[in-house]
Amino acid sequence: MPPVNGTFCVTVMKDRCINARMPGKCAACVEVCPYEVFAIDGAGTVRVQNYNACVGCRICAEFCPEDAIRINPAESEFLVRSPWTFPQVEEIHHKAQTGEYMLRGFGTMGYAPSFDNITVVPSQIASPAPRDKYREECNLEVVIGEDACENPIRMRYPFIFPAMSFGALSREARMALAIGAAQAGIISNTGEGGLLKDETWLIKGYENEARTLSRWEPGGYLVVQWSTGRWGVSADYVRAGDGVEIKIGQGAKPGMGGHLLGAKVTEEIAAVRGIPVGSDALSPCRYYDVQDLEDMRRMVAFLRDVTDYKVPIFFKLGPSRPYADVKACVEAGADAISIDGLVGGTGASPAIVTQGVGIPTVALIPPSVQALKDMGVHRQVKLFVLGGMRSGLDAYKAMAMGADGVGFGAAAEIAMGCRACMACHTGRCPYGITSQDPELRARLDPEEAGGRLANFIKATAEEVKILTMLSGHDDIKDLSEEDLRATDLNTAAITGLKLIGYEKRLPWWEDGRGS
Amino acid sequence: MSLAVDASGRDLRSVSTELKVAVAKGLVIVQKAAHLHGLAAGLKSGQVIVEGDSGNYLGVLNDGATICVEGNAGRYLADNMTRGTVIVEGDAGYGVGQYCYGGTIVVNGNAGDFTAVMNKGATIIIRGNVGDEVATYMLAGDVVIVGDAGKDLGNYLIRGNIYIGGKWESLGHNTLLEEMTQADVAKLRGYFDEYGIEADPMNFKKIVRLSEKPFYK
Repeated sequence: MPPVNGTFCVTVMKDRCINARMPGKCAACVEVCPYEVFAIDGAGTVRVQNYNACVGCRICAEFCPEDAIRINPAESEFLVRSPWTFPQVEEIHHKAQTGEYMLRGFGTMGYAPSFDNITVVPSQIASPAPRDKYREECNLEVVIGEDACENPIRMRYPFIFPAMSFGALSREARMALAIGAAQAGIISNTGEGGLLKDETWLIKGYENEARTLSRWEPGGYLVVQWSTGRWGVSADYVRAGDGVEIKIGQGAKPGMGGHLLGAKVTEEIAAVRGIPVGSDALSPCRYYDVQDLEDMRRMVAFLRDVTDYKVPIFFKLGPSRPYADVKACVEAGADAISIDGLVGGTGASPAIVTQGVGIPTVALIPPSVQALKDMGVHRQVKLFVLGGMRSGLDAYKAMAMGADGVGFGAAAEIAMGCRACMACHTGRCPYGITSQDPELRARLDPEEAGGRLANFIKATAEEVKILTMLSGHDDIKDLSEEDLRATDLNTAAITGLKLIGYEKRLPWWEDGRGS
Repeated sequence: MSLAVDASGRDLRSVSTELKVAVAKGLVIVQKAAHLHGLAAGLKSGQVIVEGDSGNYLGVLNDGATICVEGNAGRYLADNMTRGTVIVEGDAGYGVGQYCYGGTIVVNGNAGDFTAVMNKGATIIIRGNVGDEVATYMLAGDVVIVGDAGKDLGNYLIRGNIYIGGKWESLGHNTLLEEMTQADVAKLRGYFDEYGIEADPMNFKKIVRLSEKPFYK
């Protein structure tokens, strides 16, 4: 196993370690580490056997009863000669040894223009006065498909759990997302790995399959994904959702499909995906049953027909040419569009693609919003922004730039217990979120993780509410670019926001823009 | 009893709404529907006859209905079908039976390129010739070609069987020519008898995957 993100220095402090004092006693670190960093010998003595295998997830440190383990990046031990950073050197060694490119899970590691160089403008005397967070109302609801379908989705908060498939995620993690979405009243998206039976009743807040015991209020919405692999897809699958999402691409690997290796297609996954056990589940990079935009329009039409014109149709885009792509989605008949940025996550992807392909999330919003405005459907066709969203602050900024809501993918995993060690692709997630190993999966309690997800969403919604009200609004739909300023030239240039101090948009944003 | 649905000048929603009600009552004959794409989608039961030609995506997501086209079918016939039967008297266009999980498709004429791509369990029978890249990425099911095939037949075959009576221009990656067994012959004979196809199963060749790992050399 090559190092994932550079190596880590694992230090066990002998004076604290129970095993060091009493060999044979305590081997918690050996038990919890899925990467065999620690070993125990015949005499019961624990030692660190393989530094290189450590992914830096810190689960050993958490389970150590004596707080005896320290994990530090190993880089500091070496002289770093940029651009030959430690991970870069390790990556070359990996390719030289194996002849294979590096895979990575979770998302990008590098710098990308982010929301950090944007600041929120509060309300003072010259603008409408701030609203009182305690006594006054603030509307956070988002309604999708109000004009186009019989059963529009009414989300309590402007957030979604974006597509993360069963296969990439464990069954327990999928269930947790459904429970979390049910408690928060938001959307959970199945991803392309098929539909778990449990999800369909958990998402509606029931704790049993017969739907007699209602437990979680107010109930959420399940969006089923229609993708290029079409795993487990049937008329029943399409009808099981409160919405159908047509996946075009994703942030971590736009222009690529997906590939669940045969070795990972267990009996359970094979059953849900409807394929033979052990066969490769390849999701092609494009639809073989779509050749042009006209076909895509027909696809939307038959999906509406199969679902009896009841549920909204979503599109999911990777970060490419946002203006033209968003326009094409609207032309094809979308009710909502999710656009995923460069920093968007994945179960596994070639490291170079995750790292260097696609447009950073923040830069996707202005052209996407412009496309919706030019089509006359801004705020009608909903725009969700995904990819590296961390907090209510990020969400507020995206919404003030014109999005209708945001998606929390990686943040949702972290809320479930993930420590962002970026080793999803190994299939040995120490916290049982991105693993199919029964022992590791048992570490994730769906109910507890679902509760954590709901807490995260509620706290984040509260953050959005605070920011909305301090800038003098009582509805997220009223937010605008005027509520934000860019704090550096680069961000002002990318986003078209007014630059602090200058208090104007940069000149080239004033003479029209678009495609 | 049969019911006629005249589709001329009407849109998909209006025809489909009428069709969904009508199939519960008996055989439905749809007339002048060549301009409609995605007709008879996701039906769980019933019998539909399309007079003349059909548009694209006919019988998409079919889940139990029997659909017959008296003329030619457009592209993506019976896309993503799970159960049921779709029969075309004439030719079918590009991409017959892609992404199907089950059911049977019979095309009595020729079929286009990319037929049976990502087939996951359907039986797809083409009485005439087929184009290129037929049964690419197939995971399960049977593809029976009575006539000839084009280039890259069975490209990156993952699982499933291809039976072919005629010639092919080239075989795709990860394919293997295998001896027909008695069970194969009996299976084909069953198909031919059921759908009135005059062909001798003994003259057919069988193509299966070469290795369990089609994506690695």
